[in-house]
Amino acid sequence: MTIAPKAPRRLTMKQRYEALTRDLDWEPSYVERSDVFPHTEFEGIKIHDWSKWEDPFRLTVDSYTKYQAEKDKRLYAVLDGFAQSQGHLSLTEASYLNAMKLFIQGVTPLEYAAHRNFAYLARHLDGPGPRFAALCQSIDEMRHTQTEIHTLSNYNKYYGGFHNYLEQYDRVWYLSVPKSFFDDALSAGPFEFLIAIGFSFEYLLTNLLFVPFMSGASFNGDLPTMTFGFSAQSDESRHMTLGLEAIKFLLEQDEANVPIVQAWIDKWFWRGYRVTALVAQMLDYMLPRKVMSWKEAFELYFEEQMLGGLFQDLAFYGIRPPMHVDDAIAEKEILSHQVYWTLYQFSHAAAFTTTVPDAGAQKWLSENYTETFDQLYKPLWDKEAKNIEAGGRHFARGLPQLCQVCQVPMLFTEPGDPTTLCQRESVYNGEKFQTCSDGCQWIFEREPEKYVQAWLPVHQIYQGNCGGPTVPDVLTWYGIQDGDGGEYKGSVDDRNWQKWHDAADHSNIGSEG
Amino acid sequence: MQYELRTQVIEPPRKTFTHLVERYGDRPASRYEEGSIGIQPKENFHYRPLWDPAHDIYDEAFSAFRLTDPYSFTDPRQYYYAPYVTSRAAMADAVASTLDYLDKRDLLSRMPDAWSALMGELLVPLRHYESGAQMVSCDIARFGFGTTITQCAAYAAFDRIGNAQAVSRIGIALDGGTAALLGEAKTRWVEDAPLQGLRRCMEELFLEKDWGKALIRLDVLDRLVYGLFFGHLDDAAIDAGAGSYSLFAQHQASWFTDQRKWVDALYKAWVADPETGAANKALLVATTTEALAAARAAIAPLAARADELVGAGAAAHVEATATTVRDTVAALTA
Repeated sequence: MTIAPKAPRRLTMKQRYEALTRDLDWEPSYVERSDVFPHTEFEGIKIHDWSKWEDPFRLTVDSYTKYQAEKDKRLYAVLDGFAQSQGHLSLTEASYLNAMKLFIQGVTPLEYAAHRNFAYLARHLDGPGPRFAALCQSIDEMRHTQTEIHTLSNYNKYYGGFHNYLEQYDRVWYLSVPKSFFDDALSAGPFEFLIAIGFSFEYLLTNLLFVPFMSGASFNGDLPTMTFGFSAQSDESRHMTLGLEAIKFLLEQDEANVPIVQAWIDKWFWRGYRVTALVAQMLDYMLPRKVMSWKEAFELYFEEQMLGGLFQDLAFYGIRPPMHVDDAIAEKEILSHQVYWTLYQFSHAAAFTTTVPDAGAQKWLSENYTETFDQLYKPLWDKEAKNIEAGGRHFARGLPQLCQVCQVPMLFTEPGDPTTLCQRESVYNGEKFQTCSDGCQWIFEREPEKYVQAWLPVHQIYQGNCGGPTVPDVLTWYGIQDGDGGEYKGSVDDRNWQKWHDAADHSNIGSEG
Repeated sequence: MQYELRTQVIEPPRKTFTHLVERYGDRPASRYEEGSIGIQPKENFHYRPLWDPAHDIYDEAFSAFRLTDPYSFTDPRQYYYAPYVTSRAAMADAVASTLDYLDKRDLLSRMPDAWSALMGELLVPLRHYESGAQMVSCDIARFGFGTTITQCAAYAAFDRIGNAQAVSRIGIALDGGTAALLGEAKTRWVEDAPLQGLRRCMEELFLEKDWGKALIRLDVLDRLVYGLFFGHLDDAAIDAGAGSYSLFAQHQASWFTDQRKWVDALYKAWVADPETGAANKALLVATTTEALAAARAAIAPLAARADELVGAGAAAHVEATATTVRDTVAALTA
């Protein structure tokens, strides 16, 4: 029997995609729609037509799995090869890994948080298009969590500061900065989360977070992290598109959404910007081979691309640049120096090491921060160099006051005056609350009932909730081991690094743990 | 700078992360363990959810089912993201080659009319059932407790949209390449009497706040639906000369075998818990019993319609599966 070929009546790609994703929905009639989607009304956002959502992914499950499986195959091949050939010894220096310690402690858990909350959106958004987009992002974020852990797992075997990152994310003082940021988003409603993470974080600030880490990796011989970064990049570009689509959709649905979204942009720009303070010091101080200064990164990725590009487009919808953005711009000359100086003094209670920038590094800082470094920060390091000569490497003895909102120690200075500490105070229910800036104070006063709940590490230590009253008690509770923190020079990592390189000719060398 | 260090052997100071050393001893951990065990934050959450201030961001109390140690459950398939997508890429390839084959030999239009009708009327609308199952699984992925459980649920959610797409593709193929049949299927899902019980069950499932109960209720529905469509009717199709039905059904059946591996393992972990096992057992029996009663009533009209169309003993099979489910749970909790 012969088979006559049928005349093809094929769907276009777009029709096929819509049939396979958008159309997979129905209007409930046995239960109330508002009971099926109980979380999309309390924020005041008005959506009239979910079908107006433009799918940013345009992926079907078969194409997604095929593409992602290929990427993972390549990534894990690189990780295995690097581990087998002792690739960690070809880094610029062991101190480079401080940047990666911050990454696994402070960024990897954020990927996980994003994974869980995009699953919440994938259930709770009313439209099938955004639900599918959120589901893709949810499992992408799980991918990032796991590929980051697997990338850095090899370093953990040889170097301090990685081994207890999960518990430390829940407990350690400086990690409450990223944790409180994401907890803030996770405890918000679905639309605020979309703007906080999908838009402000993924679109506005992700370049400031990820590009420096990945370029730092490539400049310092960290092939696995660089490969992970490239591999994540195609996921990230989808996530950024989702963020952009989310904001356009909300703004186009109803004019009443505009002021709500604007307030979220104002809040989440400042919240996210404060988290990137950790990146600022990483770029300028932690990388043995420098990539670009924080100031340069901020100008390129934020001022040029975001303010000069994106916000011009958003003006069409009545959106203006984030409130307090001028304060961030003014801080670009001083941010990294102030943050690193604080971390330097508190690194005995941290799971990374710090050290005085050497002559070459200081020269680079002078050249990149002509207005501020020689005048304001070099004198601090000169003084510290003398302390060290006299055998007195300096660690801060007390505990810092933390900002009630961003939870960074109150180290920032008054706008326009880099020598006067900035401290704002608000009163709520008769109690005083301190914030580090006008931006954080504005955020606090907008939702004081939320921010009074903050788990502030320093307060918790004083209240006896962190293992005991002394520094060693707290460090034990943090799970910090010898070699995790403190001064880099002469540290376990430093000594092992020297030994492994000196002994390159020998066939078998041990390490000190 | 390049170093010639290839021959160097360095004894690493530690073999893996602290939380894994504490759990498994100082041995190298598998990638599944590294990527799954203890990943969910445990304490010191900063703010309570605005949409549910009674709970923490991650909270055991989102379900009455408890594990003393949430990581006493691990996925028997050891899926973390990379092996998961690799496995699903292979499944998607297999489905695609079946669809190509059906298309190339024009096999769908050569099926007995009754079986074409069954596919159009009853099978293709199941894409909406899958889409509902996606939402239920997403809720488990968000509100479940412990990464080993929620990770399985997240992949299951993605699987369900994949299943919905596979069913939709057979719908497109059945109609010779257009989406007309899919449109009809949607109307049938909302209006046809035989499908209303199933749709009602799914809509009611959306309101189930306890993720453990939601998981069981979905699993009970799945066992009846998958048992009927991709087990029993698969067999019947071969006997009736509707081999193309079976060619498609095999993929859904093998997915369901894979899915039940982790669900079964979770039931076992619940029951085996030294502290919460007794309470979990009682809950498992009660939830299953209630879910079975609802599912049987919901699926009976659908099975009856299948019998009208192809006369395959579908109704009897649903009843038999219900008995099996009840007996399995009884054996597990005895």
